[in-house]
Amino acid sequence: MNRNQILAVLLSELLAFSVPGPVRAQKPAAAGLPPEVYEPLQQSLQKPYWELFELAPGLEFSHSQIEAMRKHLEKSKETCVRSYKKRAEDHGKELRRVQDSLKAKTGRLNDDERKQMHCQIQNLRALESQSRVLAEHAIPVAYENRKAKLELIEKWPEDLKRIKAEIASGASNQRRWGDVKDIGFRELVPGQEKDIKDGQEAVRQMKMAGLMPPEVENPAVRKYVTSLAQRIGKHSDLRVPLQVTVLNTKEINAFALPGGFLFVQRGLLEAVDNESQLAGVLAHEIAHVTGRHGNKLMKRATVASIIYQAAQIAAVILTGGAATLGTYYALQYGFYGLGLVLSLDMLGVSREFELEADQLGVQYAWNTGFDPNGFLKFFDKMATREGYVNGLSWFRTHPPFYERMVQSKREILFLPHKDGLIENSPEFDQMKAELKKVTAQAEEEEKERPSLLAPVQGCPAPQKIEYKPGDPIEVLCPESGESKSTGR
Amino acid sequence: MSRIRRIKIHRALTALLLCSLAAWPQTLGQRSLYFTVEQGDKLIGGLTEKNFRLYEDGQPVPFKLAEPESPLLITLLVEYSQASGLYLNDIETAVREFMDAAPEGNWYSLATFSQELQIDVDFTKQKGEILASYGGLGQPFWGEVNTYDAVFDTLEKLELLPGRKVLIVIGSGLNTLSSHTLSDVQKKIEAVGATVFVLGAGSLLRGQYDPYLGAGARMELTQAEAFLNMLAKKSGGQAFFPRFETAYRDAARAVVAMLQHQYRILYESRVRPDNKFHRLKLEAFEISDDKRRDFSVRVREGWRWQ
Repeated sequence: MNRNQILAVLLSELLAFSVPGPVRAQKPAAAGLPPEVYEPLQQSLQKPYWELFELAPGLEFSHSQIEAMRKHLEKSKETCVRSYKKRAEDHGKELRRVQDSLKAKTGRLNDDERKQMHCQIQNLRALESQSRVLAEHAIPVAYENRKAKLELIEKWPEDLKRIKAEIASGASNQRRWGDVKDIGFRELVPGQEKDIKDGQEAVRQMKMAGLMPPEVENPAVRKYVTSLAQRIGKHSDLRVPLQVTVLNTKEINAFALPGGFLFVQRGLLEAVDNESQLAGVLAHEIAHVTGRHGNKLMKRATVASIIYQAAQIAAVILTGGAATLGTYYALQYGFYGLGLVLSLDMLGVSREFELEADQLGVQYAWNTGFDPNGFLKFFDKMATREGYVNGLSWFRTHPPFYERMVQSKREILFLPHKDGLIENSPEFDQMKAELKKVTAQAEEEEKERPSLLAPVQGCPAPQKIEYKPGDPIEVLCPESGESKSTGR
Repeated sequence: MSRIRRIKIHRALTALLLCSLAAWPQTLGQRSLYFTVEQGDKLIGGLTEKNFRLYEDGQPVPFKLAEPESPLLITLLVEYSQASGLYLNDIETAVREFMDAAPEGNWYSLATFSQELQIDVDFTKQKGEILASYGGLGQPFWGEVNTYDAVFDTLEKLELLPGRKVLIVIGSGLNTLSSHTLSDVQKKIEAVGATVFVLGAGSLLRGQYDPYLGAGARMELTQAEAFLNMLAKKSGGQAFFPRFETAYRDAARAVVAMLQHQYRILYESRVRPDNKFHRLKLEAFEISDDKRRDFSVRVREGWRWQ
């Protein structure tokens, strides 16, 4: 290498490090693992959970290799988060500089100059907020996902052996709610009917407060969802009539009020890929009713803690935009969403209730004749997407995500074999076709919705950091240290 | 310059002038004017076109009475600063009372301000979101009350939207470090077709402490109130300064009643976009037994054509 080449290399390095607000993640060491281990392990971590349940027993990674990868993921997360925090700070500093300049010059600016500064402020605000959301939510969620999958690769083979042993010994029949052949005849928690009044009161209050979203009016969609929920209800431990409402909101959720009031949101119907996935979610919600979790929650939670939680969630609703209305009301009235974003762990109650609803939900879906893996597959899909969308992670709630996945899979393995379990049906596809019309209409109405957040007229569109929920995290923090994002 | 050349130039200029005059529209498109008609404390409804006369810059203008646009776009602009601490209770009461009185079916949004404007809830028809959001605001972070900036910025955003726009300002009217001046805001409200109603905060406290206020503080408060009154008067709305807590309910209901009794006039404006203020006058009257009975009209003072 001659002198000029050396100089060029030094200069390029210097330039690369002096760019303000870089995404330049430090090049991570390949976890101290040889490529023949590192590469397949990385590839495995990008597979869906349900596929890993099948693959994990055949993978041969040592404990030390897994530990090295875990440390590598932790370090990569820190580097990636740090770089985006720095980026947000840099955009914030630049934003304040332009705002101060606007304030100082305001009397002397002509219209064009003012417009230009407004455009600049708008762009910086967008970039600052995108960087912050990525640093605080999307990046941690993506890495936690990888870590949960690593845990699955590490622990599942042993867990599976134990499960098989339990099945062989008959010990699995002794598990709590293991009497699945008696579903509908067993008594989980007596007194479901006592919850009806609470549920009615909650519905009334929601309506009075003007917080009940509009219902889907399409009769075919309503009829399908109601009939599917009723079918599952009949094959569950439900003792109260099920009142099903389909809400016309794009949120991916469903929630149940005590006493059998089930609310399914349009976003959920759009997000599920087949009938077994939808059945799994509805069964999970019905399980919250049969387990009388709302009633138990109200007993345990003090009024102060509920109010505190409500305020916390309201803040999330504010910052998260289209965040979860159901969550807010869950806290007010003690009913549940999918448990995806609920931070009820602060009350110390969500862990057992969610695990119980997962277990019972899987049983109810199976008992109705649906493939119980549908619930797992939907869970898997949402792990990356919903965690990002709502700005909250499953991983920050209890029980840990891995535990929920494994417990659900465990229950599925414990269930007696059934032939002809349904994954999909023509009715589901017909509902999806009808739903497209509902969605199109809702999107059309959304376009007509006035907005105070419309960009300043005449400005170029604010820059975007290209990252979609579910994208591999390397899009943001590639291992080479280069970013594909456009919004520097 | 030869005579012929001068004639040619003169002709060319004349032709240019004629062309530009011909191209200049006689009207500037349809304008929508919202107003209420009152007699004493009573809102008067049921009047027809023949009960009104409209003047623009003193000249009578033809118009027609039209159905008010629906749904309304209602934005609550709420002061939320550390400096508002002493009357934050008033502000909260005003927000709650207004949302309780507000009818379903309209678009509602919530914006708060201290140092700068924050859009807390974009337009929604689920009006409960406004209170839910307001309830979760937490402690105000900034101590500034940049009311002029907040009003200016909100009006600028509303300006971009079509339809019937209403701005409900809830705050003291005090202003600390705004980059916009009073004159900027005044020009903006003259240009934007939004009706402003004010639920003033701090009057209760002011009543209690008035005897102890220094001349400077008293002047500042008077200016704050005058600013809020100006917004309402310029836009055809009304400012309320409740002096006891329960009066917020009456004020909120009065605003809602006024919105429900608003008339709408459509007319073609003939003034040029000269960035000057053009005065409007609207007369409302009733002829009964050959006697004319005049009503008072709450209507915007005029337009600044931009």
